[in-house]
Amino acid sequence: MVRKLVISLLTLCLFLALAACSGEDKSLKGLSKDEKSDKGMEVIGENVKFDPNKLVNNGETIAIELWTWGGKEVFQKQVDAYEKIYPNVKIKVVNQPWDDYWTKLPLQLKGKNGPALFNVHNSYHSNIIKFMAPYDISTEALDKDYIGVTSHVIDDHVYYIDYAINSGNIYYNKKMWKEAGLTETNIPTTWDQFIQVAEKLTKKDATGKLIQAGFNFNGETYKAIIAGLGYQKGELLFKKDGKTVDFDNKTTIGNTQMLYDLYNKFHVGSPDFGDDSTKSFGNGQSAMVYKWGWMQGELNNNYPDIEWGVFRIPTPTDEVPFAFDRYNGESTPGINANASREEQAVAQDFLKFILAGEDFGREFSLFNASFPSKRSLAKDPDILADPVLRALAPNVDRYIWPGSFPSAVETQSGRVFEEIFYNGVDIKDAIKAGQKQMEKDMKNADFETVESKYKFYSER
Amino acid sequence: MENVGRRNNSIFTLKNIVVTLLLIYFAVFLIYPIGMALVGSFYNWNPMNGTFDFNGIRNYTEILKDKLFWTSMSNTMIFSIVVIVFRVLIGLLLALALFSKLARFKTTFRTVYYMPTITPLVAVSFVWVWLYNPQFGLINDIFGLDINWLKNKDTALGSVMLMTIWKDFGYATIIYLGGLMSLPDDCFEAADIDGASGWEKFKYITWPLLKPTTMLVAVTSLITYLQSYIQILVMTEGGPGTSTYTISYLIFDEAFQNYNFGTASAMSIVLFFFIGLLTLISFKLTKERN
Repeated sequence: MVRKLVISLLTLCLFLALAACSGEDKSLKGLSKDEKSDKGMEVIGENVKFDPNKLVNNGETIAIELWTWGGKEVFQKQVDAYEKIYPNVKIKVVNQPWDDYWTKLPLQLKGKNGPALFNVHNSYHSNIIKFMAPYDISTEALDKDYIGVTSHVIDDHVYYIDYAINSGNIYYNKKMWKEAGLTETNIPTTWDQFIQVAEKLTKKDATGKLIQAGFNFNGETYKAIIAGLGYQKGELLFKKDGKTVDFDNKTTIGNTQMLYDLYNKFHVGSPDFGDDSTKSFGNGQSAMVYKWGWMQGELNNNYPDIEWGVFRIPTPTDEVPFAFDRYNGESTPGINANASREEQAVAQDFLKFILAGEDFGREFSLFNASFPSKRSLAKDPDILADPVLRALAPNVDRYIWPGSFPSAVETQSGRVFEEIFYNGVDIKDAIKAGQKQMEKDMKNADFETVESKYKFYSER
Repeated sequence: MENVGRRNNSIFTLKNIVVTLLLIYFAVFLIYPIGMALVGSFYNWNPMNGTFDFNGIRNYTEILKDKLFWTSMSNTMIFSIVVIVFRVLIGLLLALALFSKLARFKTTFRTVYYMPTITPLVAVSFVWVWLYNPQFGLINDIFGLDINWLKNKDTALGSVMLMTIWKDFGYATIIYLGGLMSLPDDCFEAADIDGASGWEKFKYITWPLLKPTTMLVAVTSLITYLQSYIQILVMTEGGPGTSTYTISYLIFDEAFQNYNFGTASAMSIVLFFFIGLLTLISFKLTKERN
């Protein structure tokens, strides 16, 4: 009897475990059939248009899922507005932690039960592109409404675009700035001016020990900034074939020398002054740091007492550079090519809804401290009220996207930084070794740069 | 009797179900991955873009020519030997101290020494990163030093080794304590009658009788440390530069940063045979000495 019970329990556990592996419930509960095609609402959008006056899925009830790793509330707000128009549609927003997301999503997309819509990050482009359906929106209309669309065209189709762009700025401590006798007029626009300001912001004790860094770039900064410094001088990150990284060149050596001099000639910081410039700035030990948009959230969440300001990255001269920096896009959702035809149709319609309107672009841009790529939002008061976005606003089309290149480029750049600043390796030797290792690590990468699609590419 | 016979003939017995589940578990999570790694080591393999092209022994020849592979192997050997020596030494000394009749609060000390062993390695690594911090780390504060422990190529690997020794010596202490408790009393009584000193008793009785225990600690430690990478990942990420790369960290880096699964598989197979060889040698030595 006991044996039978144990066997039954084991079998039950096995079935439950298998059942747990199946897709999540896409309940139609609470939905009602929609019979009113004329909603009496206006068409939204300038070029990408959304006409609400129609039936979705012929008015029959339908439920789909939208997966994301963050910003669930922002998505939910859009979903609520869409569901209000179409009572027969339910879009369930499912939040997955970042690490789980990229493990589960490709597996789900392979099968039939994957989410019809999912948040995309371009660094995972090669993992998911084969499961994505092209947008049912004309590229021309997208290009008129959004910047950077041409970089995302694959065989005349668009699978996702950028709703916002993210790049680097200089964050500064306002209190230290004031203590050093600096005002808004001292905001540097060139690297020479920046060095002078950094020197004024540097403090040492009586023994000559550094107690306040004028500029701190310890940690991830070198790998984030080095390509941008190259672009400022018109140096591309990839060679003519579009696949081989071009790291070992005079421009990289010169820019690395400039950074090296900041610590070793001008003494505005030190590689041993904390190993993380973010924490150092947050703890009030460093006056200036170079960071991307995420820094705003980091400061607001973890260092609310720091009074900070932000300004555009300096350039070699006061002339407009080839590009101010490199950017990376925050991507619009993708559509699952393996979802049923009905689910894909709803997903395409919801996508038009969020891309034709402005709320999605505005709210997600503010959420991620990234500048909206929708042209109509460029002068939006809410966007310009944000200090980080305000710094990017005047030159937003002068930032270049090299494409979602393999992480080996950044990983090896970080290693080059350590070889030079901690292991005392000669700059030229370290960069040469970095180039060699990047080429080796990228040998299997399926990547081709889109630098040539940059608006001002011909200026080189 | 008829019922019993029927029950034994059924394939759905508890024993068969449990064994089948175990077999499925080992086949899916052990045999298949090892087999896949072995096959993949002969391929140019990138699962992210679906590349799986046969390239013979090229992965093996490339890694054997790769300077970073040998740096990582060398770091792994240094790391393993140093940590094992100190683990055995400290573990033995503390076990002897706890075994001594003079020692008090034995249970408390046993617990205190064993606590780091059962604490998750990731958590311990993070705590030590703070201890080593060049600006506000306790180690610099206590000793009045100004060293960037984890960013200096001369101190980084040693710093990770020190943390590992601290975390793991408790295991050796407990194992040695068990070994000491099982030693036969009559040997020591005979030595007392012969007038042997404490050192002589240790040299001629305790140490030789503890050799199987020492081999156990050494071999299990060797297998663990040849695969070390968590503390490297958390504390140095292989840096500064490549100065603290271990072979397991390099495998992780190749597979999950560069997606060169073929190269990473070839490295895993080399490591697999290397560990197997060292373990065989250890067992052979133990057998001969026994």
